Amino acid sequence: MRRLLATLAFIAVPPALAADWSWNLAKGFPVPPVPSDNPMSAAKAELGRYLFYDTRMSLNGKEACATCHQQSLAFTDGRAVAVGATGQSHSRSAMSLVNIAYAGALTWSNPQLKKLEDQALVPMYGDHPVELGLRDGDGFLARLRSDATYGALFQRAFPADADGFTVANVTKALASFERTIISARSPYDRYHYYRDDNAVSESAKRGEVLFFNQHIGCFRCHSGFNFSDATVNERNAGRPIEFHNTGLYNLPGLLSYPAPNVGIYEFTKAPADVGKFKTPTLRNIALTAPYMHDGSVPTLDAVLDHYSAGGRGHANPNKDSLIAGFTLSSQDRADLIAFLNTLTDQALIHDPAFSNPFSHRQIDARHDP
Amino acid sequence: MNYRTLAYSLLVLTGACSGLISAQEQPAPAATLTISGDLPRPLTLRDDDLAKMSRQTVSVTDSDGSNVEYEGVLLRDILKQAGAPFGKDLRGKALASYVLAKAKDGYAVVFTLGELDAAFGNEPVLIADKRDGKLLFGYQGPLRLVCPNDKAGARSVRMLETLEFVKLQK
Repeated sequence: MRRLLATLAFIAVPPALAADWSWNLAKGFPVPPVPSDNPMSAAKAELGRYLFYDTRMSLNGKEACATCHQQSLAFTDGRAVAVGATGQSHSRSAMSLVNIAYAGALTWSNPQLKKLEDQALVPMYGDHPVELGLRDGDGFLARLRSDATYGALFQRAFPADADGFTVANVTKALASFERTIISARSPYDRYHYYRDDNAVSESAKRGEVLFFNQHIGCFRCHSGFNFSDATVNERNAGRPIEFHNTGLYNLPGLLSYPAPNVGIYEFTKAPADVGKFKTPTLRNIALTAPYMHDGSVPTLDAVLDHYSAGGRGHANPNKDSLIAGFTLSSQDRADLIAFLNTLTDQALIHDPAFSNPFSHRQIDARHDP
Repeated sequence: MNYRTLAYSLLVLTGACSGLISAQEQPAPAATLTISGDLPRPLTLRDDDLAKMSRQTVSVTDSDGSNVEYEGVLLRDILKQAGAPFGKDLRGKALASYVLAKAKDGYAVVFTLGELDAAFGNEPVLIADKRDGKLLFGYQGPLRLVCPNDKAGARSVRMLETLEFVKLQK
């Protein structure tokens, strides 16, 4: 449909006037922030979708953004830690891209990386670790240019540019596509925002009350419509984001978390910031195992074990005071997990607007190491 | 017990036993608010009592930027009904009084009489049972506080169950 709209916009109006974007947001969802130098357009999002799935964007011609961000897994990869084009492992788990438009910080532990256009350069060109493995001047733009499909896509997306084939435009299009990946059609949304009492089970309803219970306190960090306190919208886009140490580790010495995953301390160098990571969204959480920044917690049940114990490394001096531990009955546990399962958005993972546009260029499932 | 009540009881009983009853057929949990403490007329109010009192609405901005309307009874009016000192009675030692609003999960916040009284803070703190015309449900309800002039939301207690009135100077 979006593709059709993009085509119609191209035909019906002069390209320079194709400001055709409407968020069409669900109840409870504010307008996300968008950088003024990259306003949303259907044509940019559509180009971004092609680029996101295009294996020509990688060193070995086999990887794409979608290798580590798979639609069926709510744009994660199912691995504890991601693996790049050269087989090098990332030190952290691939984050879900769901509702990334609302993220006040983009990665697990870099408080400075806030713009998707900038972040896209990291997997494209980064060395630590190598992800897509592109290099300056290695001709990936020429490879795209040789495909007639891209001639039309770039022209529609960047009609004012004499030559739209630039790295900056690639990152603008990728960011525009990523901002469209909004999850708002889960059973929980139907229950909570659209008041459909039959959308979720009674167990899930009890689980919701437990989730928002003061003593358990999940909602204190997993807050708001996106179940993450690292969430912003167009009205508060610049606000500071809190990062949290959840007591996952407690190694002796200053670096109480295993290097290189030391949290925002890597950037701030403040000892109190060791082990502080971003609160990820819980939307589609049942699809995004294993959990935590390093994928070291395999299941939702194990996540509840970690938090109910007040943290696996519960004596970490930087641990957030909210991680105090709690007691759950087996029924409570089942109810909480039933609630978390209601955040799975089947419409999102089957939406053609977010799917691979290349019928002949399938993304390889990563070989196991 | 008339036939309608009996039929309803059987429906609920059957549903409880079989688990087949749908959520929409189940009665909403009854709202009950207990007002206790140093008061002349401690009260327990049910949803039908609240429905008969002077109803107010307040409009607040939701997280998506839209306006939502909460409907209910002013905290001040409920405390007045229980005999808390307001107006000409709110002077001297009475000004050293507060109400502790407690939720089902033990969360609790304090309001002073001074901030609620019309001649002082005049805060329109509401005990709401409806949001946009629909009964509060799930983790929000059946009753919650709404503090429309608070900048932060932490005093807008969800799952409100009791108001405990404390007179510090007697």
